[in-house]
Amino acid sequence: MNPMNGRCAVEVQAVHKHFGRVHALRGLSLQIERGTTYGLLGPNGAGKTTLIRVIMGLIAPDSGETHVLGHRMPDKDVMAHTGYMTQRVALYEDLTVYQNVQFFAVMAGLAHDRRAIEEAVALVDLSARMDSRVRELSGGMQRRVSLACALVHRPQVVMLDEPTVGVDPQLRVQFWDHFRRLNQEGVTLIVSSHVMDEAERCDRLGFIRHGVLLAEGSAAELLQRAGTETLEQAFLHYAEQGPAA
Amino acid sequence: MSTQRILNLARRVIQQLLADRRTLALILLVPLVVLSVAGVLVRMEPTAVQLAVVLEDTGAALPIGGGGTVNLGQRLTDSLSGLGENLQLDVLDAAAAEARLEDGDLDAIITLPGDFSARALQQRELNISITYEGSNPAIARVLDTLLTRAAVQTLASLSLVSSESAPPVHIDATYRYGGAEFDQLDHLAPAFIGLFVFMFVFILTSVAFLRERVAGTLERLQATPIRQIEIIIGYMLGFALFALAQALIILTFTIFGLQVHYVGSLAVVFVVELLLALMAVNLGVFFSTFARNEFQVVQFIPLVVVTQVFLSGALWAIEDMPGWLQPVAWLMPLTHANYALRDVMIKGSDLIAVGPYVLVLIGITVGLVLIAAQTIKRQTLA
Repeated sequence: MNPMNGRCAVEVQAVHKHFGRVHALRGLSLQIERGTTYGLLGPNGAGKTTLIRVIMGLIAPDSGETHVLGHRMPDKDVMAHTGYMTQRVALYEDLTVYQNVQFFAVMAGLAHDRRAIEEAVALVDLSARMDSRVRELSGGMQRRVSLACALVHRPQVVMLDEPTVGVDPQLRVQFWDHFRRLNQEGVTLIVSSHVMDEAERCDRLGFIRHGVLLAEGSAAELLQRAGTETLEQAFLHYAEQGPAA
Repeated sequence: MSTQRILNLARRVIQQLLADRRTLALILLVPLVVLSVAGVLVRMEPTAVQLAVVLEDTGAALPIGGGGTVNLGQRLTDSLSGLGENLQLDVLDAAAAEARLEDGDLDAIITLPGDFSARALQQRELNISITYEGSNPAIARVLDTLLTRAAVQTLASLSLVSSESAPPVHIDATYRYGGAEFDQLDHLAPAFIGLFVFMFVFILTSVAFLRERVAGTLERLQATPIRQIEIIIGYMLGFALFALAQALIILTFTIFGLQVHYVGSLAVVFVVELLLALMAVNLGVFFSTFARNEFQVVQFIPLVVVTQVFLSGALWAIEDMPGWLQPVAWLMPLTHANYALRDVMIKGSDLIAVGPYVLVLIGITVGLVLIAAQTIKRQTLA
């Protein structure tokens, strides 16, 4: 496949998803441009993770469709060009840092490229713990390994589900610096968070609640339209107004 | 020491168990399933011995009194037939008896030659030659007792032996497979060699796959280009290696440590072990989807493993099971593996001879691979 297909990195069109009686996504649509960082903001249970899983092709929507890099999901070939950092740590605890990163690198088609693995581990500042077992690492370190696994194969689109939870402030700054560099290389990032202060680092934000996109725009636009001083207040403003037309 | 804390903890444990309906149901139901199978089997009538008599005895003149002839072979056959339901006796010619023994339909052949009566009267004792099929040593013991009883009856009817003296009966036993030195362990060992590989691979895979799901690594894996069937095959490959290593250790211990008799080809044993391991991987993947934690997985062991052991023909012969249970027994992979391994190890059968069992095992394996791949897929789309 040609990863440069399509104008948008991600296109979600009128996606509905039910889990039993729970209507998790209610006709949600959004577009994400290449080389940008899109922030999905909303309280727990708003449908952020479900949306990410639909975009990744991990769950099939009841109706509507999703395109990533111009290809309709789910598409296993596209998955070689996407990276996914799950909300949970999701690593093999008995294996070392190197073994974990290597495992996901090889899965994405990067056959035993030691340098790529070492770079990914260096990026998350864990070169010294390369041969430590994951179970021996602190929670924050484990999240860093998880990020390295999501980035090691240099994906075009990266989903980061709450990437900075449990990461100390200094490293959080490093993470965001790196995310910026990735954007400059044309990599598209989707970051979900319920922490509003991270949101202003994103190029565009989508406020999600009850499976609906409440409002969309840059942080400045959203503040201006709502006439509030903080994104938190803005979110409450849009939530009262109901879904955008 | 605080009673309050202890009771509080105990209450929490009970609350957790009550909240976990599946474990609760398994704790209560699985023993019932296993025990009902065991109950049916234990109450079963003991094995009916399939015996053929090749009756060539032409009889002989009685030495005492004035003439008259007697056919001791016929009398012995009649005594044997009168011994009860445990003995299924057919009088056959030598060729037919040999053919049925070869097919596995017979447990033993007693050959009574033309001069049987003559020699018995001359030597004042009975010399009986018997050929055992030999793969089940328990049958030799049963028949030995029955035959001695019948011989004593026969002699008593002739007043050739006084009630005080020991019956002059000599049984000359030969074994087609195995031999007198084969014991119950030789009979059971092939089944257990298969069982252990199956059980351990099943436990390991189900726990490993459960962890994969619980930790979220399965979801992460599914966000990579790997396909469901590739995940299954990867698991099978990884565990097959361990299973074969385990089989090697078990076989070495069985043959050299336990001194179990063994005549067949090692390669065929490994083929069967490999198939068992592959099936166990897929069953593990399948059952792990019905469990949310390790406790629940462990509950599946009696259901999947113990029930299969009971039904595999290792402890109780399938032919003796009630009619409705026999098809169930033949559905179990371990049954086919047990029969194949027993034929190889005791009779020295080659791959072609145990081919039907191996083909069934391959068929079940393929079916399980498809089912396991579907279960992973369903999780993705859930």
